[in-house]
Amino acid sequence: MADRKPRSSRFLPPDPRVEEPYRVTPQLALRIGIVGTVALAVFAVLFLRLWALQVLSGSQYLNAAQNNQLRTVRLEAQRGEILDRTGRTLVSNVPGTAVRLWPADLQPEGRYRELQRLAKLLNVPLGRLVADVERRKSDPLTPVTVKTAVPEDKVAYLREHQDEFPGVAIETTYLRDYEFGSRAAHVLGHVGEITKEQLKTRLKAGYRGGDKIGQEGVEAAYDRYLRGRPGVAQLTVDALGKPKSSLVASQMPRAGNALRLTIDAPLQRAAEQALREWIEKARSESPVDCIGCWSANGGAIVALDPRNGAIRALASNPTYKPSVYVGRVDPRALAKAGLTKRTAPAKNIPSLNRAVAGEYPSGSTFKPVTALAAMQEGLIEPYDLLPCTPDYEVDEQTFANWTPNFNEGMTLPTALETSCDTYFYRVGKLFYDLPEERGQPLQEWASTFGFGRPTGLDIGGEESGLLPTIEWRRRTYTKKTDPCCWQVDRLWKSGDSVQLAIGQKDLQVTPLQMARFFAVVANGGKLVTPHVGMRVERIGARGTRPVVLRQLEFPRPRPTSVDPKAIQVVRDGLYAATHGPNGTSTAVFGNFPIPIAGKTGTAEKSLVLPGWSQATIVDQAWWCGYGPSDNPELVVCAVIENGGHGGSVAAPAALRVFEEYFGVKGYFELPSETD
Amino acid sequence: MIDYVDSRSSTVRALSPEGSEVLAFLRRLDWLLLLAVGALLGLGLWVIAGVTRNDVSGEPDYFLTRQAIFAAFGAVGLVLTTFVDPDHYRRHARVVYGLMTGLLLLVLVVGAVERGSRRWIDLGFYRFQPSEFAKLLLVLFLGGFLADRYKRVSDPRTVAAAVGLALVPALLVFMQPDFGTALVYGAALVGTLVVAGTRWVHLSALAAGIVIAAILALWALPAIGVEVLKPYQAKRLTGFTNPDSDPGGATYNVNQSITAIGSGGVSGRGVSGATQTSLDFLPVHGTDFVFASFAEQRGFVGAAILLGLYLLVVWRGLRIVAIARDAFSAIVAGGIVIALLFQIFVNVGMTMGIAPVTGIPLPFVSVGGSSLIANLLAMGVLQAVCARGRGAPRERPGAGSKRR
Repeated sequence: MADRKPRSSRFLPPDPRVEEPYRVTPQLALRIGIVGTVALAVFAVLFLRLWALQVLSGSQYLNAAQNNQLRTVRLEAQRGEILDRTGRTLVSNVPGTAVRLWPADLQPEGRYRELQRLAKLLNVPLGRLVADVERRKSDPLTPVTVKTAVPEDKVAYLREHQDEFPGVAIETTYLRDYEFGSRAAHVLGHVGEITKEQLKTRLKAGYRGGDKIGQEGVEAAYDRYLRGRPGVAQLTVDALGKPKSSLVASQMPRAGNALRLTIDAPLQRAAEQALREWIEKARSESPVDCIGCWSANGGAIVALDPRNGAIRALASNPTYKPSVYVGRVDPRALAKAGLTKRTAPAKNIPSLNRAVAGEYPSGSTFKPVTALAAMQEGLIEPYDLLPCTPDYEVDEQTFANWTPNFNEGMTLPTALETSCDTYFYRVGKLFYDLPEERGQPLQEWASTFGFGRPTGLDIGGEESGLLPTIEWRRRTYTKKTDPCCWQVDRLWKSGDSVQLAIGQKDLQVTPLQMARFFAVVANGGKLVTPHVGMRVERIGARGTRPVVLRQLEFPRPRPTSVDPKAIQVVRDGLYAATHGPNGTSTAVFGNFPIPIAGKTGTAEKSLVLPGWSQATIVDQAWWCGYGPSDNPELVVCAVIENGGHGGSVAAPAALRVFEEYFGVKGYFELPSETD
Repeated sequence: MIDYVDSRSSTVRALSPEGSEVLAFLRRLDWLLLLAVGALLGLGLWVIAGVTRNDVSGEPDYFLTRQAIFAAFGAVGLVLTTFVDPDHYRRHARVVYGLMTGLLLLVLVVGAVERGSRRWIDLGFYRFQPSEFAKLLLVLFLGGFLADRYKRVSDPRTVAAAVGLALVPALLVFMQPDFGTALVYGAALVGTLVVAGTRWVHLSALAAGIVIAAILALWALPAIGVEVLKPYQAKRLTGFTNPDSDPGGATYNVNQSITAIGSGGVSGRGVSGATQTSLDFLPVHGTDFVFASFAEQRGFVGAAILLGLYLLVVWRGLRIVAIARDAFSAIVAGGIVIALLFQIFVNVGMTMGIAPVTGIPLPFVSVGGSSLIANLLAMGVLQAVCARGRGAPRERPGAGSKRR
């Protein structure tokens, strides 16, 4: 149409027949103005925002962007070694190959397949591997340790097929190496990855997620010396966490220091062997009258220096190999070792350190406490005679001596020698008969000697035991806890005092508490603080002497205000018990060339034996003593659970420790069965 | 009226072989606008060169090469559309509408699904995105529709009809789903209505309707169990009101984008130093978040120049609305400019956390052939309107607008 228009048509005047031609109306001009204003406003907003972001807070965002890409990786420090008192290595490190998995690098497709292959190759449970990877979802830059101590052939396979395992890294790590297997397992503890709860309280101390930390024992108590300082390295990563550069260390790791213990490795071995040996003997060769001895299944030995509380051996049985905790822990191995909640009872709780946390009735080993307290309180004269009868009756209750063979007056040392129960029942009654204003001196003295509370052992893990008092009875037996008989049970009765005097009924002590008390007797009245730590060292190059960095300090032995003369009486009694004609462990120690003094204990404990439906009274075998008796260097306390008479199993077990300590053997053989 | 408009058509002069006529036509083009678009195109290619350097390993120029080819096609298209009398579009408004609807229906049928939406028709060498071209077609159609009813534009029925007709492509795009582009269609509709002279009261009603629809879609209907938007869409849109609500999820992109922009500072971190982009912390940095990447690499200076160029284009566009020869040309120019302004604001605003995340590409810069070509075609239409406008020098000096 337009083509046909003459060229000049646009110069014609407007055609009056048609409407007014299109032109910009004031209305449209206004609208264009408004749109223009809006456009200006829009750009002003954009400019201002851009200005605010880039110019005003640019450095802050630059910081954020840099933090986005730089990841800090921790470099593991080699953990310090643990040495025995003469410098023998108890725990060291071996370099191990660790297979680690960086969850960030797992491909979205085929990740499950990869985990499956990895689990199969390395023989780890797939479920746990998947769970570990899932847990790292929010923190894909802390690798999951799939397995440590990976065999060489599998490492080679992984290296060859690296393309098929994205995110798998093969790294060198340090693994705890236990020179002597299970030796001193309870003392040493183990090392494991820091738990969430531990991390909460230790962030300030420099611990981070994924760190190794001592769990229990020496490893935990002295972690600050052993752990060293991890190094720090930076790594550039992309948004998926894939490393884009090699590690650049900004701080090299510093190896931890060595820790020397007071533990003596050979003595520790002797103690552990003695426990094993005499638990076994109790089970297999127990006398006919020993009820439950066949189920002797645990025990503990404490050996310490009475002069300063340094522990030379601390054995607990049953035990375990701490190596099950090395590297990535295999729950099946833990279960097999009886270290899980489910499997522990069947193995008689191997993780329990019976030497410090096993609570037993003490039996006659408590008699020296009673003796000291009675002399201090002036209740008895040690060389006055008190009747040792087959029975003792008080308040219409009859308490028998352990043997009916004595019926004579005895001095205190003789009563200790023969372990006469009725003598001490009478002493207990004397305590009971004291007027109220005299308080409860027997318990007070027991408390002075450290019973009823932890000893303050440096590696912890202790139990307090139980020192029964009038208040304790009142507190414990209430209408709620004991609806039938609380009104009677809450009262402290004569029987309580009488039985406490021989360490029976409610009293519970740990072997360490008892050893500490015998140290008081051995050192002439001072209460020591038991410890296993000795000093922190830096091991120099081969052949050079280690540098002592720090001598560990412990509270000095504390005097107990006990009369030295009273102590001497007890020491005479304890010597008689191992050498006198009627001594309860003369058979064991009588011929030993080094003079040993000590007390047996046969503590009755009511428990349900395996396979029995009812609770039975079973004897817990004790022996505590020291040697040489005139100048004691070593206190030994031995307990064998369900072991029967203290003299028949606990005393020989303790003797083995003295044999090792003094280097004299062969003076005691097991009496034959007909004996 | 149609006759009258026809009588003023002057295509023949522009296309005549006579040298002086061509020269006169060329002189009537908006060269400043052309310059601004050319600068944007060049800047855009520079941006793509830096931003997508690490995206295809081994081929640092993969996206740049493709984008340059698209830019060349788009430039040819711009030149061609400049020489087409816009009135043709008006006369064939029905064809325009049919073409637009057909393309949008076609993509729903044969389109390739990627990242959960069906937006592209895969042509092998090139993925054709009809919704980008439909944007221009919608403006052209609405221009024709409203120009033909220019005298009755105050009639609510005219407005309602225009809204209804625009709703069809918007819904088709919404079904892909592509919420952002549907919003751009809404902006184009508002733009054409504003220039066509729709009464403010109607415009207000339309605006209120859009707001109510948005509220319904985002909060009210989901509350009673009807899901209008995909959950990810709603999350992105509502996340903008509270950017720290879920740093790992819906608002991750925006937080990384703000960090990228801020870290650029005044002078930028350069291509290799822009870690937010090169280490992939900022996702879709070639398309939706290209502004953030550019701002990280070139800093406030570069980003300000880019925004300045956009401002220049918008200003020249509005000037063309004012000098347009007839109602149709004015409405089309208005629709194009306002839709462009809306896109710029929503895209750039999104990267800076002051507009919702909707996935609208940045005009002339974002990687993507369809968007680039369609935008250049729209610039061609603007030039065509300008060349035939009343504001040319010599003919009417000083009429209605400033002289260059």
